[in-house]
Amino acid sequence: MSRTVTPVNRLSDGDAPKARPPFIKFDWAWLGVTPFLLYAIFFLFYPSASIFVRSFESPEGHFTFQNIINIFNRSDILNAYKTSISISLITSIGGALFGFLLAYAIVLGGLPASLRSFLLSFSGVASNFAGVPLAFAFIATIGNAGLLTRAIEAYLGIDIHAHGFSIYTIWGLSIVYMYFQFPLMVLIMAPALDGLRREWREACENLGGTYLQYWRYVALPILLPSLLGTTILLFGNAFGAYATAYAFSGSFINLVTILIGAVIQGDVLYDPGLGNALALGMILIMSLSMVGYAWTQRKAARWST
Amino acid sequence: MAFLDINNVSKSFNKDTAAVKDFDLQVEKGELVSFLGPSGCGKTTTLRIVAGFEKPTTGLVRIDGKDITNQPPNKRNVGMVFQAYALFPNMTVGENIGFGMKVAKKPAEEIKSRVSELLTLIHMPDFGDRYPNQLSGGQQQRVALARALALRPEVLLLDEPLSALDAKIRVALRAEIRAIQRQLGITAIYVTHDQEEALSLSDRVVVMNGGKMEQVGTPFEIYNFPKTEFVAQFVGVLNSTRAEIVDPANNRLKMDGQHLQTAESMDGYHAGDQVVVAIRPERLSFASDGHKANLLECTIENIMFLGSIVRVTVKVGQYNLFMDTFNNPFLELPKIGDKVQITCSREAVLVVK
Amino acid sequence: MNQKRIWALIIFIIGMLYFFIPLLSVFEFSLRALKGIYSFEAYRVAFQDPRFYESFGYSFVWAILTILCSMLLIIPTAYWVHLKLRKIKPVIEFITLMPFVVPAVVLAFGLIRLYGKPPLVLTGSPALLIVGYITLSMPYMYRAVDTGLRAIDVKTLTEAAQSLGAGWGTILFKIIFPNLRVAILSGVFLTFAIVMGEFTFASLLVWPAFGPYMEEIGAMRAYTPQALSVVSFLLTWLSIGLIQRVARGAPGQGQVAGAR
Repeated sequence: MSRTVTPVNRLSDGDAPKARPPFIKFDWAWLGVTPFLLYAIFFLFYPSASIFVRSFESPEGHFTFQNIINIFNRSDILNAYKTSISISLITSIGGALFGFLLAYAIVLGGLPASLRSFLLSFSGVASNFAGVPLAFAFIATIGNAGLLTRAIEAYLGIDIHAHGFSIYTIWGLSIVYMYFQFPLMVLIMAPALDGLRREWREACENLGGTYLQYWRYVALPILLPSLLGTTILLFGNAFGAYATAYAFSGSFINLVTILIGAVIQGDVLYDPGLGNALALGMILIMSLSMVGYAWTQRKAARWST
Repeated sequence: MAFLDINNVSKSFNKDTAAVKDFDLQVEKGELVSFLGPSGCGKTTTLRIVAGFEKPTTGLVRIDGKDITNQPPNKRNVGMVFQAYALFPNMTVGENIGFGMKVAKKPAEEIKSRVSELLTLIHMPDFGDRYPNQLSGGQQQRVALARALALRPEVLLLDEPLSALDAKIRVALRAEIRAIQRQLGITAIYVTHDQEEALSLSDRVVVMNGGKMEQVGTPFEIYNFPKTEFVAQFVGVLNSTRAEIVDPANNRLKMDGQHLQTAESMDGYHAGDQVVVAIRPERLSFASDGHKANLLECTIENIMFLGSIVRVTVKVGQYNLFMDTFNNPFLELPKIGDKVQITCSREAVLVVK
Repeated sequence: MNQKRIWALIIFIIGMLYFFIPLLSVFEFSLRALKGIYSFEAYRVAFQDPRFYESFGYSFVWAILTILCSMLLIIPTAYWVHLKLRKIKPVIEFITLMPFVVPAVVLAFGLIRLYGKPPLVLTGSPALLIVGYITLSMPYMYRAVDTGLRAIDVKTLTEAAQSLGAGWGTILFKIIFPNLRVAILSGVFLTFAIVMGEFTFASLLVWPAFGPYMEEIGAMRAYTPQALSVVSFLLTWLSIGLIQRVARGAPGQGQVAGAR
């Protein structure tokens, strides 16, 4: 009985696909983004560019550096920048620190999951509560007739306003700003902390490391770009804030944003060239922070997955 | 005395279910033992107990006579290779490997030379300055292995290290892992759900299911002499059918109307008992190639060309059985629908509980 | 690890105190309009002021308009960029980051100077207001849509639809939009919350929106501002709550807004 056969060569010349000319779809796609680009040009880039250009324009219309120089000459304007930068530094660093601790507490602190979802939900709300209503809320808290003020006076016998403390100071406003700085930090850092893989901690332990060594050599270095980046974000956030400060203290506190607002409203300072220079200063500082932000992200790109 | 003694270890996470039940194993020095089983069978939990990431509810773990059950993981001298995310992403390959020594405050020179030594061991001598995100999956796991070995651990633990990799790389890498383990003579536990991996790598295999040990033995024993139905079905491809005992004295059974004779002892069985019968596909062959003790009538259902093996599916009564024959390009195979006779020896018929 | 848990709890409690004392305070304060007793008098005053409804309605209408224009502007852009013009994506993303670089005040300043005098006078109409609103909400709307697009693998869906014979209209409206529903809704609710609470543009451009109204009350009255603050908080809570309700289970949620 023979069951042998000769093997058959199944290979043959396949059909190569014919080359087709490229189908030009460009018209449709560009049409799709044109409105957006036009919008950006007319209402974002052009105004920003004009601010830049007009900063160098004197009231008569000639080219001048005077506006820029005035910023440094006038003490009230210098003070405004100092105040704005101070508040931004305080609330960005303070907000980053405590916000990080909060994020750590709910993600890695061993607390029940319900607390975590509650804080994350609440943070979404709190970060949107900024502006006028927030200011009123804090006036009702630590203002002259505020609940906390009265409670401290009633139970601790201390009149917090007696010794010259006023909420209408850098520190007072900073406390208010924290209300949206903390949540922002929590919302960004909670997912970042989630991204810390269990395996990294276990591998570190397996190799003889303690919990602190894990944080020092592995976790913090990995988190650093997010931490720094978010801190810078918080800085920019505080620096550009207007509504909260305006509703809270009106012109009690001298901030750059308030000053620009005053120029727009045609108040005492009406001097458009100066206004432009102020605005330019803001754009520059914000751009610097964006550059800083991009830099922190890039440093991580080397090793990030 | 066993080098690694996992002594009657049980672990429950909650009151109702036990993740690990009465796990008892003695591993000799230099032995590679696999824990094999499906997801949730307790193999990883047991491994993590040895590593110190879980505490057993009852039982002890001893290494070289020392009771380490209550030692924290960073004080034990075991090295662990994880399935995924094994390496620290913010450190280079060299820094990863040297991390354990850095924590132990070893001098820089010693770290440097040991890292270099290990890079050579894993055949990656020029990779010291690369970051994990620049490496392929297989390369990352090799570095993870080197890192686990850096501190010369007494026991090496591997938690499904190849599961996340492509098939071809898996095959190449597991040979490399085995070679390194042998070369260093290090005692190792290897957790996997891939029975081919377990069989090819291990000195012994522990088959686990539902937290319990089903069987412990060499790959040869596990495959050819499975003790339970689970082991028989999990390890290798297996044909298993129900059968009825006809004549215990003469080792005769009836499977769906056809007679089978087995070489296994029928002590304790009575006529009429229902049992499970298992036959390995490679033990079946065409009767036309040579008669053996058992003869079965069947119809060809399907023929699958798997490369070196041709797997023929035959219909015997109500059952579909796999039959594996070696590929032979000059041999004509029957066609689908043909009626043929297949045969197997008495020893090929396994009776399992 | 118990020590860790204790510290975590302490921090959590401190955080909760910081967040809830002001809420409690503003509520308590709002109840004290009538001397000596707690009452909802401040709320009564607020809700009986016709200008409350005018300004609220005004902002509401503008929120809807902003949402519509924003969607019209951003969704097709995000879609095209994602599908066809990948290369231009960094440019688009940079544009959506611009509102962070150019704060509301500065933008208001620039817009007024540029479009406040001939030949292009826009300050007479609320056009600049909607521009401001769109710019403010743009980063969030874009990010919501972008996240949604990434999560649903637009390319494969489009190609599958095309292979079954669908034209662009069908693809956009019957396939892409429904799958983006959750992402779009998130962006919508967030934009709504932003516009309702917005102060800067409305105030500087002098339009009778809810934000400036609240501020005015704050300057004129006592207790009523706090009542409005509570109302505003509840409104924000509602909007964000809706987002989280709608987005449950959907990929990539959790919207973040900043200060204004």
